[in-house]
Amino acid sequence: GKEKASQLHAEGSSFDPSAFAEHLLSFMDLNRLEDESGTDGNLGGYLPGGAWLKLAKRAENCFRTAPAFHYMLGSFLAEPPPPRQRVE
Amino acid sequence: MSRQMGDGHRLFLQNMMTNGIVSAAQAGMLHKKCCELHGGQEKIDDFINVVNTHLQPLFMHIRKGMSEEDGQEHFVLVNMAETDITRMAADYAENELELFRKIMDLIVESDSGSASSTAILNSADKLISKKLKKKEAELVLNKFVQDKWLKEQDGEYTLSVRCIVEMEPYMRTIYQDMIKVCYVCHNIALQCQVCENPSCEIKVHLPCVARYFRARSDPHCPACNDFWPHEIPEMQAPQSQS
Amino acid sequence: SSQAQRARENFTSDQIDHKVAEVVQFILIKDQKKIPIRRADIGKHVIKDYKHIYAEVMNRVCRTFEQVFGLKLVEIDLKQHIYILINKLEPIRGQTVSMHPGNPKMGLLFVILSVIFMKGGTIKENLVWNTLKKLRLDPGEKHDEFGDVKKVVTEEFVRQKYLEYGKIPHTEPVEYEFRWGLRAEKEVSKLKLLEFVGELFDQDPQNWTQQFREASTSGTSSQST
Ligand SMILES: [Zn+2]
Ligand SMILES: [Zn+2]
Repeated sequence: GKEKASQLHAEGSSFDPSAFAEHLLSFMDLNRLEDESGTDGNLGGYLPGGAWLKLAKRAENCFRTAPAFHYMLGSFLAEPPPPRQRVE
Repeated sequence: MSRQMGDGHRLFLQNMMTNGIVSAAQAGMLHKKCCELHGGQEKIDDFINVVNTHLQPLFMHIRKGMSEEDGQEHFVLVNMAETDITRMAADYAENELELFRKIMDLIVESDSGSASSTAILNSADKLISKKLKKKEAELVLNKFVQDKWLKEQDGEYTLSVRCIVEMEPYMRTIYQDMIKVCYVCHNIALQCQVCENPSCEIKVHLPCVARYFRARSDPHCPACNDFWPHEIPEMQAPQSQS
Repeated sequence: SSQAQRARENFTSDQIDHKVAEVVQFILIKDQKKIPIRRADIGKHVIKDYKHIYAEVMNRVCRTFEQVFGLKLVEIDLKQHIYILINKLEPIRGQTVSMHPGNPKMGLLFVILSVIFMKGGTIKENLVWNTLKKLRLDPGEKHDEFGDVKKVVTEEFVRQKYLEYGKIPHTEPVEYEFRWGLRAEKEVSKLKLLEFVGELFDQDPQNWTQQFREASTSGTSSQST
């Protein structure tokens, strides 16, 4: 508890989550327009469309994620379609 | 003669899993990169054969197929098993898959090889498993396109090359004579030109028309010799896989 | 054991091969949503009558994942026998071949894992929500990409075992805390995460001495080249 907290202070830099958020917003190219009120109330600016994808792509190499196998054949039971007259 | 898989093959396979489908050009770049990183000098066809040999017991395969739109070759990682286990796939819900079957029905039955979003949304309202509301159906349609099973243009949906390459055995079994086949390349032909001779009516893919009739000023049907009345598309240069 | 030996003699080599293939398929399918796989489920849905040779089948399943796919089947819970698949290979970097779409949720997950790690390994949930709010993600509102953010974080990520979300004992009203989940412990490189955090702060990751020490000595970091 208290010991660990003081250890973190004594050894090395502290970590400020607010500053972390600011750096992330810069990385994600936050548009800091002064006159854009956005939907977030008092938080100005807005993140462009691919912001989280950009972060994900960079963060990806911290992960050893296995690729997944996706397919369509065999994912459902094969049933013949209802009989339909083909117009010749 | 079976060769062992190396990290280069595994990396290629992992990329095929992530992408599902790659163009021949992309496959070429991927193959080159995999060999650069992990050694290996095989040509791409032999390289993929090694992977396929090891995928065979798992009922998986990297299959080559042609796009109906532009004639470009693609490589698709397909599943070939149809079992209780494969039916546990989690990408789509039961009613979403029922909608996909309905979309395939509509496309196969059509002359254009496409289905309108209106027709699809109508089907979504009539599902046996659980109806999809308009908004839900639109989201699923987007997912089908994002996952590269369908293509959309101007409100019309067609089966993607990924879908046709994987689903071909299923479609031939389920649709039997209903399914159009290209006279030139013998593969399934959903988007195609049709001979207008009523006693002929052969179907040919647009890229196959382009290839077959190139440099011919007076095109004639390869089956019945009648004049081929349709516009001959330009042939696209095949992108090399090196 | 002689019982296993007798059991093995009841099955042909082909039958065992087929069982191995079925287990591999089963695991790949469960991995589509990154749901950890329970040994009980493998037994119930796949192995069934082959229970006596379970160990042999699983050995070959592990070998198949390594040799064919370059993936590792890791047991993350030794008591309940729960497995996950992780990658043995380094991903290809660079633009030429990076064609895959990418999953924005991994960005969200990265933020949360980083805050937890940098703050010592356990944090109160408020710290997560406040940080996300600064990133324009309100757990109360529906987000275009993530939908119900709170649900994604406290249910989906927890189900996948990327995060642990537990009650803090003796709190009234109840408060919750976040920790890294068993999947994150195996799948995430603390060193690479710290490196990226350093890049964002334009700081040498070694400045965070405590975190750097932990990142350097944690098991997974020794596997990264
Ligand atoms: Zn053709
Ligand atoms: Zn004809």
